[in-house]
Amino acid sequence: MGTTKHPRANRGRSWVGALLVAGLGHSPVTHAATNDSDRIAVLEQKLDQSLQLIHQLSARVHDLEAQAAHGAPPEADKRSGTAAAAQTGAAAAIAPDTAQRLAKVEQTVNQMAASAGQHAEEGLATHGFADVGIGNHNAEFSKYQGADVGELDFFLTPRLGSRTRALFELNFEVGSDGTVGVDLERAQIGYQFADSATVWLGRFHTPYGYYNTAFHHGQQIATSLRRPRFIDFEDHGGIMPAHTVGAWLTGSERVGDQRVTYDVYIGNSQRITGGALDMNNAGNTHGSTIVGGNLGLLLSGTLDGLKVGVDAFQTRIGDEDQSPSYVTQVRSFGTYAAYDTDNWEDIAEFHVFSNQDLTGHTGTHHSDAGFVQIGYRAGRYTPYARYERGAFQQSDHFFAAQTNGSSYYREALGLRFDVDLVSALKLELAETRLTDRVIGSYDEALLQYAIRF
Amino acid sequence: MFTSSAKLLLATLLCVECATASAADLYVICNSRVPLSAADVRDLFLGEKQFAGAVKLVPVDNSAAQIAFLDKVLKMNAAKYSTTWTKKSFRDGINPPLIAGSDAEALADVRRTPGACSYVTTPTPTDVVVVSRL
Repeated sequence: MGTTKHPRANRGRSWVGALLVAGLGHSPVTHAATNDSDRIAVLEQKLDQSLQLIHQLSARVHDLEAQAAHGAPPEADKRSGTAAAAQTGAAAAIAPDTAQRLAKVEQTVNQMAASAGQHAEEGLATHGFADVGIGNHNAEFSKYQGADVGELDFFLTPRLGSRTRALFELNFEVGSDGTVGVDLERAQIGYQFADSATVWLGRFHTPYGYYNTAFHHGQQIATSLRRPRFIDFEDHGGIMPAHTVGAWLTGSERVGDQRVTYDVYIGNSQRITGGALDMNNAGNTHGSTIVGGNLGLLLSGTLDGLKVGVDAFQTRIGDEDQSPSYVTQVRSFGTYAAYDTDNWEDIAEFHVFSNQDLTGHTGTHHSDAGFVQIGYRAGRYTPYARYERGAFQQSDHFFAAQTNGSSYYREALGLRFDVDLVSALKLELAETRLTDRVIGSYDEALLQYAIRF
Repeated sequence: MFTSSAKLLLATLLCVECATASAADLYVICNSRVPLSAADVRDLFLGEKQFAGAVKLVPVDNSAAQIAFLDKVLKMNAAKYSTTWTKKSFRDGINPPLIAGSDAEALADVRRTPGACSYVTTPTPTDVVVVSRL
């Protein structure tokens, strides 16, 4: 079998390379970040001085109040000796008035502080992520090239009380047709019974493996420029159900020095429509469900930062592009390990599929997919490498019906540069080889600028 | 008999020793109604522990002592701490600790807020609980 290069790969490479080099000339950016740091340091110093002054004034108020209550001179006056004694009469005359005024000031300050604290506890916390990019291919939709808008992701975590929690994620993203769409990526309302048990209802990220719940739509928090292809989001060509609409019980419990984490969930089974998975936000018409769980162990001591775990789910997914719908019982079993420390971020995840054809009765089909990613944080630079592979039986209708359901390999080398704590530039060079439905390969040179706010 | 230079040197050494002792001290404090153990402090500031009995915990970072706290208790740097909370918030829908700017502000927050815990570098008054001294 021969290998063909994507026709656009070579054509766009030269000018994209020039842009990438220009994009990585980050000296002005670094300089700007340093100036910001200096300004922040000065402001912090001023704030500390102000707070110290407030503290001293507050102590003075208490002192004067004590004096007014007991008719005794304040400590400072006691220390001043004879001169203070000579002025005691005059001080006693003005002290009640001064103490009263200071008491009013103190009351006002306390009210302001209490009000600020209240707002902090009950406010609406809003976060956001955004990214833009450029490359000889679009990172998500390889048929496009040039500059691209990734997404603008708004993330809301309203403070509702001690046990009720809510999480909403509204995402403006560019779809496969190049137009901007809006997606309510997550809409969860939950109740926290204890540290070890929180129940969520709504639409959430299906807790399989490690990556799908550790990293979400905001690319700034992810080391790499994009997700592994097979666990990408449904509308970006992912072949696993990244979202579930249903109920999710999750929590963790310390066992000795280790921490055990768990997830159990049930929701609407997904469907295939337009060659992509859909999570059936409104419910489904046949009542079938996705059921799954995830069990993890966070280690400590010399293995601090290491998490290992296993997961599984089962669902019935119909291909609604066919009439009548073609139904597959999908079973997935996974295992993962992630090592996350100050310097290292290494992730490995592997899934096997045992899918039964419920319509054509062609039997059970076995497929698998996995990736290994190694990253090393060297100050503001994080070089990373990833190898991923998906081997999907094309006789399995579940994969055959999906646009991105073909088998592939992808090798990627990347470099992340943290401009500051909230923004990152990422460069990735990758080669993707398609190995069954379409035989071919294409090289990518991608640059992304991702922020959070 | 000490010469003036020797006195100056001695005074400097004493000041350095005092400063070193002061920098080494870190007190994790909680509101008086919080039943928290020293073993829970790490989980509290990483968002893994949110309740102590029926009391909802409110961690408060003290930016004046944060570097020392992160180093001694969480064993991570500031960048990793920030990233950890961003991921935690994005994954679990919980918000990172509030931030106080000084020992005095942290102490005021802990006094005022039921369930609040923070850390300071100076010995604390008796109306807050010292969970651990580091």
